[in-house]
Amino acid sequence: MAKTYDYLFKLLLIGDSGVGKTCILFRFSEDAFNTTFISTIGIDFKIRTIELDNKKIKLQIWDTAGQERFRTITTAYYRGAMGIMLVYDITQEKSFENIKNWIRNIEENASADVEKMLLGNKCELHDKRQVSKERGEQLAIEYGIKFMETSAKASINVEEAFLTLASDIKAKTEKRMEANNPPKGGHQLKTLDSRTKDSWLSRCSLL
Amino acid sequence: MADDLPEQFDLIVIGTGFTESCIAAAASRVGKTVLHLDSNDYYGNVWGSVGVEDLIRLLASDAVLHSTLRNGSYTWHDESGDTSTSEGDEMKEETGQQWTRETVLAMSRRFCIDLCPRILYSSGELVQLLIQSNICRYTEFRAVDNVCMQQNGNIVSIPCSRSDIFNTKSLTIVEKRLLMKFMNACNDYGEDKCNEDTLAFRGRTFAEYLQAQRVTEKIASCVMQAIAMCGPNTSFEEGMLRTQRFLRSLGRYGNTPFLYPMYGCGEFPQSFCRQCAVYGGIYCLQRSVDDCAVDANSKEVLISSAGTTFRAKHVVSAPRYLPASRDCVMRPHLSRGLFLSSTPLGNEVLNKGGGGVNILRLMEGVREAIFIQLSHFSGACPKGLYLFHVTTPAVSDDPAEDLRPFTMQLFQNSTPEIVFSSYFTLTTQSQPDKVGADDAVFYTDAPSFEMDFYDAIANARDIFGRLYTDVEFLPRAPDVEEIVVDGEDPSALNEHSLPEDLRAQLQDMQQATEQMDIQD
Repeated sequence: MAKTYDYLFKLLLIGDSGVGKTCILFRFSEDAFNTTFISTIGIDFKIRTIELDNKKIKLQIWDTAGQERFRTITTAYYRGAMGIMLVYDITQEKSFENIKNWIRNIEENASADVEKMLLGNKCELHDKRQVSKERGEQLAIEYGIKFMETSAKASINVEEAFLTLASDIKAKTEKRMEANNPPKGGHQLKTLDSRTKDSWLSRCSLL
Repeated sequence: MADDLPEQFDLIVIGTGFTESCIAAAASRVGKTVLHLDSNDYYGNVWGSVGVEDLIRLLASDAVLHSTLRNGSYTWHDESGDTSTSEGDEMKEETGQQWTRETVLAMSRRFCIDLCPRILYSSGELVQLLIQSNICRYTEFRAVDNVCMQQNGNIVSIPCSRSDIFNTKSLTIVEKRLLMKFMNACNDYGEDKCNEDTLAFRGRTFAEYLQAQRVTEKIASCVMQAIAMCGPNTSFEEGMLRTQRFLRSLGRYGNTPFLYPMYGCGEFPQSFCRQCAVYGGIYCLQRSVDDCAVDANSKEVLISSAGTTFRAKHVVSAPRYLPASRDCVMRPHLSRGLFLSSTPLGNEVLNKGGGGVNILRLMEGVREAIFIQLSHFSGACPKGLYLFHVTTPAVSDDPAEDLRPFTMQLFQNSTPEIVFSSYFTLTTQSQPDKVGADDAVFYTDAPSFEMDFYDAIANARDIFGRLYTDVEFLPRAPDVEEIVVDGEDPSALNEHSLPEDLRAQLQDMQQATEQMDIQD
């Protein structure tokens, strides 16, 4: 089968239960909001291909499958992730405070150079707001990551957020490819997803 | 912990080991409601993979109630270590990278140390199960680089494939022909059950059969040690089965018939748990069970945990996780040795490009052990360090003593620079499955001595079959593309599910493409 994309990026959604991770995922991948059916048909990630600078980028976006509920995300969830959306709910102070814990979790389990972005979701609920936009911005600056307020329901900034994260990963990937050309085995094969015969032999997916 | 959890489930699974997780995934997959608990803060129990710090914590805490791990001990062999110093210390100065207790501990989480390491046959039970169920999407593999054997005290790679046999310099032409002929005979075995050659060996040992084939000493030991993985008493049928297993896994993914999971065997229980969660299973770690009782009227099992009582039609538990099973006598089952070394074992050929993922089966009389070397290519340890796993069926409660004949074999001719060594015992129930068991509570088996996961999967299938009759065990989960419209192909979208404006856009695009065709 011909390859229909130039890059494959694995992205994760992380944050407390109920902040709207799955809704963000569905808004971006399906442009839909209703997600009540998700656990009955067993969706664990969604795919959408975007185009940046004439490059086709296939985004594979993974959801937590509810395993964040009691902080029981598997370490396996973080494997090979190149970008992480940290999501909190602007109407839930606690979910914002917990971002620190999630970042620690990421530092412990994800690869050190994973690209991160902070999202304050449900920004359409002005009158229930508990976390100001400034505090979100401040926290993002503290960790040196980008920040946006989004609304999966009203479709605000979701598209922009993913495009920003993807473009940052793309820039990083291309820079690294230039730096050590030709890329050597191991993790970078995933970045390129160039399943040449060599890489197939040294590192296999059971497909 | 603010719970707001449902209190009624079809199945409660206790312990997140391989077998329990497999059952949890299978039940959730066919629509059962599942609650999955583990008193540990990590997935996998004794089937899991841990960092160095966590390993040390496990080895030091013999008193953990639910644990089947005991007799833990460890030693640092670096200069700064205050426990013990080994003979190889004078070599340290010459090496570039200094691996000490501090540098290793600083990278603790970069290690995935299997408590119960396994190697998969490329077309074995687990690989088939992962493909069949589509759970393979959660795991990646490294093809094992070398299957090794010992020859005059040296470790050498054995030729696996036809081309390997053809190219190898370690065999003479006559030996090559003999080995090829033998492999073909094994491959054809069973096709013709009445084959006269093999008929005579029913009920005898595989070693006798091998002898009758008039193969040379070298080939015989190669087959016994590495291909059939037999001992002197292994039956002819069993030996043939194992040889076939080996041959049928050849040529699928790499040069050898074996695969190792990237980041360790602990990925498997996690993959099954993920599958369970994707289908709605609920996960709580760090949650132990205080009591387990059966409701006399409803026949439901009541599980009390942290002040909440959950009800379920069935309970599946790992050994020792339920209070009732803690009285059960545990006997030593597997003796494990674990070493971190700054040099790989064996020569350069076995460790191309910075160290191989190699396996070696050791024999000592009727006893055997499996040695696995993991380099950073396995994702299980940082670059420059090597993880050595040695496993043997326990004969005593002293794992170091059990393993001594094998470690002596391993380290006699090559002396790797060991930074850290540790030993422990994995135990099993003396009378499996019978502790306070009734119709609703099932106990999984502790890990057995095997290369792959054949026993564990059989155990999971058996329990699942007793829980739910006439339901498929882990049917294929649909691919994401099958459920979802793929963004890269707008024509694949179902038009009627689209909002008005998008539908108009789609029509415009289609028109545009048609016009393009005309221009061409």
